[in-house]
Amino acid sequence: MTQAEIKLCSLLLKEHFGEIVEKIGVHLIRTGSQPLRVIAHDTGTSLDQVKKALCVLIQHNLVIYQVHKRGVVEYEAQCSRVLRMLRYPRYIYTTKTLYSDTGELIVEELLLNGKMTMSAVVKKVADRLTETMEDGKTMDYAEVSNTFVRLADTHFVQRCPLVPTIENSDLGPPPPAPTLVVNEKDMYLVPKLSLIGKGKRRRSSDEDAAGEPRAKRPKHTTDNKEPIPDDGIYWQANLERFHQHFRDQAIVSAVANRMDQTSSEIVRTMLRMSEITTPSSAPFTQPLSSNEIFRSLPVGYNISKQVLDQYLTLLADDPLEFVGKSGDSGGGMYVINLHKALASLATATLESVVQERFGSRCARIFRLVLQKKHLEQKQVEDFAMIPAKEAKDMLYKMLSENFISLQEIPKTPDHAPSRTFYLYTVNVLSAARMLLHRCYKSIANLIERRQFETKENKRLLEKSQRVEAIIASMQATGAEEAQLQEIEEMITAPERQQLETLKRNVNKLDASEIQVDETIFLLESYIESTMKRQ
Amino acid sequence: MASRGGGRGRGRGQLTFNMEAVGIGKGDALPPPTLQPSPLFPPLEFRPVPLPSGEEGEYVLALKQELRGAMRQLPYFIRPAVPKRDVERYSDKYQMSGPIDSAIDWNPDWRRLPRELKIRVRKLQKERTTILLPKRPPKTTDDKEETIQKLETLEKKEEEVTSEEDEEKEEEEEKEEEEEEEYDEEEHEEETDYIMSYFDNGEDFGGDSDDNMDEAIY
Repeated sequence: MTQAEIKLCSLLLKEHFGEIVEKIGVHLIRTGSQPLRVIAHDTGTSLDQVKKALCVLIQHNLVIYQVHKRGVVEYEAQCSRVLRMLRYPRYIYTTKTLYSDTGELIVEELLLNGKMTMSAVVKKVADRLTETMEDGKTMDYAEVSNTFVRLADTHFVQRCPLVPTIENSDLGPPPPAPTLVVNEKDMYLVPKLSLIGKGKRRRSSDEDAAGEPRAKRPKHTTDNKEPIPDDGIYWQANLERFHQHFRDQAIVSAVANRMDQTSSEIVRTMLRMSEITTPSSAPFTQPLSSNEIFRSLPVGYNISKQVLDQYLTLLADDPLEFVGKSGDSGGGMYVINLHKALASLATATLESVVQERFGSRCARIFRLVLQKKHLEQKQVEDFAMIPAKEAKDMLYKMLSENFISLQEIPKTPDHAPSRTFYLYTVNVLSAARMLLHRCYKSIANLIERRQFETKENKRLLEKSQRVEAIIASMQATGAEEAQLQEIEEMITAPERQQLETLKRNVNKLDASEIQVDETIFLLESYIESTMKRQ
Repeated sequence: MASRGGGRGRGRGQLTFNMEAVGIGKGDALPPPTLQPSPLFPPLEFRPVPLPSGEEGEYVLALKQELRGAMRQLPYFIRPAVPKRDVERYSDKYQMSGPIDSAIDWNPDWRRLPRELKIRVRKLQKERTTILLPKRPPKTTDDKEETIQKLETLEKKEEEVTSEEDEEKEEEEEKEEEEEEEYDEEEHEEETDYIMSYFDNGEDFGGDSDDNMDEAIY
């Protein structure tokens, strides 16, 4: 794990789970797999705190444990999973576009709580939806269950590994930690539950508990009375499936930008048909025949078979090679080159970064070297039609930032420098890694700056929150306009200005984080796909 | 190293490779040497591209900020215990500090977790039963006294987590409280003329006393 990644993980953990969890988490990321007592000793925190932190981390799938010999349990942190926390809003928004509010809330609850049983999720989501509905209406559990089942069918949520049921008699004392078993077949199997009920609206005066002392009763009644039918079956959000969806989205929009709407629809249809059949890390989708594609096109599109064939041929001949032709049976067998598509997207990202950072002439040189693979200094000047001095300057700028590298080709076996060719080349994989590293640093900087800004204006923020609370309570009890006006004037005009600026800055920083995370996704997918092929 | 020292003597400014090959011709002005680290905020030559705006961007932004706030309120956000200040202050009674008894606020499924992660809260109670039995006065049926004691214990419960000085006191309270819970609330109510639920003992000012005692039995 690079320093930049560790720093980013530390910031994310501190922001979402507090300092104690952050200390333990970062320690585990740095040192790898360790048992409980060593963690407590090395970090200098009390054993209880470490236990609490580990419970939280394991619940959120950020740390896994393993039983080693002699009964020692070792804990290991998953750094890449911690970095996924940046992408939670994007996952939730995607579910909203696909399954509307119900699906959005289901995925949100699963992400916020790590893992939950289906009944717990359904109940909570129904309650939340009921709160937002008008008075008198409630959300039925059945509807939420249906959405949950649909999410499971399309693999967006999956079951967590199960605790194996062992017979206690012959094994002696139970093991110190359960070994969780991944059941591939049942991963998306929804248990048969008959969840009947409606969402409950939470009222400020607790009418249900009237006449009983408040604190003790309600906790007992709900949880412990009925046995939960799907006890032990926990669900989590399937991040891989979301990534697959994002990748498909990126490919479709790339095709739409390059060609036109119809071709992007064709590509989208092809991707949809291979969603379940192709594993997400495959370099190509399964071959699809032109007839199949024709049948599966969305209903609104009435293009004739011939036009479809023309489009497919165009796509296959495109130099970007998103779509390839793998045979002629069935009217032509076509595949989507997932790896090539990801590589093109990553390259486009690199080009765009060079253009925005160094200018369009540098970008021209960069694209040139990309295309021609290896070029000498003189050739660069000639092909790019840029005067020698400037070309040199630009090449060295890019070289110093590691977008371009030098390749030495010796003429003589003694590698004498005067008799060696020095060629400029772009190594896309290493440039992508370098850019990814920079992205991690950028996000860490953005988060730090945002926290700094918030801390600077902490006093002002607290004051404004207090004023809002006062106004809200006064409105609830029915105050006059004049009084409200007075309270609002407690915040002076320059302070209001300051608050506005703060809000604008924080929004900008947040939006930048989201943007950088999209770049991270593309680069990580490309690097992963390349590593799998090797 | 050795060769570099030797080269310095012989011909200054001679490089081991042919400069023309990388494109620096003879007599070209080289950029000045860097004598200090690059500035912290270098001037930007090109302005960055504007951020995506529009409905989707706004929604995701709002979602992100909401999530951040929501996660701070969940029980998974562990706040470090407030350090003990030099003198005991009146306001300490009414401030909710960390979870009492170092327990977890939420209920994980203990079957899925290693056994060593369970925080044993019962340890204190067991010790207490042996120490305190002789001390404990015989239980009277005087309900007023019970109520007052209950008030005291609940008040003290809201103070800090176990420390050396308070340990005994807390043990006493918690033992008492545990025994009192054996009373059925209804029975208790019937013995007084006052309906317990109408009685507001002012505890709610500082926040409800979380009855972690109920949940401490794992």
